[in-house]
Amino acid sequence: MQKIELMAPAGNFESLQAALDNGADSIYFGVEQLNMRARASINFTLEDLSEIAKRCQAKNVRTYLTLNTIIYDHDLSIVKTLIKKAKDANITAVIAMDQAVIMAAREAGMEVHISTQINITNIETVKFYAMFADTMVLSRELSLRQVKKITEQIEKEQVKGPSGKLVEIEIFGHGALCMAVSGKCYLSLHSQNSSANRGACKQNCRKKYTVIDQETGFEMELDNEYIMSPKDLCTIDFLDEVADAGIKVLKIEGRGRAPEYVAKVIKCYREAINSLENGTYSKDEVITWMQTLETVYNRGFWSGYYLGQKLGEWSKGSGSHATQKKVYIGKGVHFFPKAKVGEFKIEAYNINVGDTVLVTGPTTGAKELVVEAMMVNDEKNNQGVKGDSVTLKLPFRIRQSDKLYKIVEHKVET
Amino acid sequence: MVIITLQRKKCIGCNYCVELAPNQFQMSKKDGKSVLLHSKEKKGFFTLKSNDALIFDDCDNAAKACPVKIISVKQT
Repeated sequence: MQKIELMAPAGNFESLQAALDNGADSIYFGVEQLNMRARASINFTLEDLSEIAKRCQAKNVRTYLTLNTIIYDHDLSIVKTLIKKAKDANITAVIAMDQAVIMAAREAGMEVHISTQINITNIETVKFYAMFADTMVLSRELSLRQVKKITEQIEKEQVKGPSGKLVEIEIFGHGALCMAVSGKCYLSLHSQNSSANRGACKQNCRKKYTVIDQETGFEMELDNEYIMSPKDLCTIDFLDEVADAGIKVLKIEGRGRAPEYVAKVIKCYREAINSLENGTYSKDEVITWMQTLETVYNRGFWSGYYLGQKLGEWSKGSGSHATQKKVYIGKGVHFFPKAKVGEFKIEAYNINVGDTVLVTGPTTGAKELVVEAMMVNDEKNNQGVKGDSVTLKLPFRIRQSDKLYKIVEHKVET
Repeated sequence: MVIITLQRKKCIGCNYCVELAPNQFQMSKKDGKSVLLHSKEKKGFFTLKSNDALIFDDCDNAAKACPVKIISVKQT
């Protein structure tokens, strides 16, 4: 089995750090506009590029800049600026969809990855893009059997990218899927003038719909009103088959997700990939991973089109089916390095001994722990309430920019 | 008077405002974002005050079309 690279999403520094702490081999991120999360309020800026590169290089983690929207004439200059700044900051590669971006990145001497939006479904298209790119994401609609045929052909015909190495195939491993063909969608453009292809998807497909025959007024009977909202992709239970398809990169979706989502999903897939490599991948482990994955944001899981299902499986609700949620408790105040104790100011809700808490922050990432003992206002106590100053023994450093949450059970709507 | 404001930082460069009100908006080739012509900036908000009431409809259409809702148009 060839080594599989685990690629993590990073929407901000919290998620980036969570990805680095939990074993990602590479991360992908966007900078302001021209990426598929352009609308998101959390996005990196050009000034963040060097910090992203610095943190990732320290851990030997590759960095990919997403520049994968449709591109207009007025974008061409900013495309070049973004690529130049990325190159100067030592970002590893650019993920591109538009040919103008591919050309600009090549001219700047930057490695190019072909985005899933290009929708590659056959070996001849792989050969075409091999003139420009070393890594390609295949179309989301392919089955693993089809993926395997493509990777076998690459090997057989020695299809090489600009680096002179065989072209590497990347596929989506986990996260949200939408009804669009490999992410290209006009739904939100038609309904709200908000183009998904410019990173401004309004997620219309996640809502409830009914189908009515306009001639007769007859309403079709539907089992589920969420007729355009697929469940989330999950491949951890058949990761051995995914690896067998000859892929090189496994991409985790979720640049809009919280840092604890990135932490848990990356941790599970890291363990799964490692267990495949050392031959210990087992059904028992899969059960544990699935339970962990269910604790964070999901719309229910299915295997996408990889195993050849003809029909999609649709979500049964608008929001998350996660079995846990976080509740804000307070903020970081001070860390005492010698005693390894962190002080927090409780601003909402209460904290008890035995609680599972989560600390998130731009440098801290997302770290979870069980409260075994604590001091409340300098006295040993089992509960801290709003206004209290609480100190906890911590296996990691905290900062003033950190937030403290309590992890509580979340009733799943069905 | 027609008062138009643009919160430029949040622009995703979709170009709709230029299509609907080409006399008031232009895309910047420098950063790919919309420019409200002849406007004055204060804390990231670009404002144009105009006595030409005829520009209201086009600008109002641009504001309605903006997918990130960063344009506001008022008539006083």
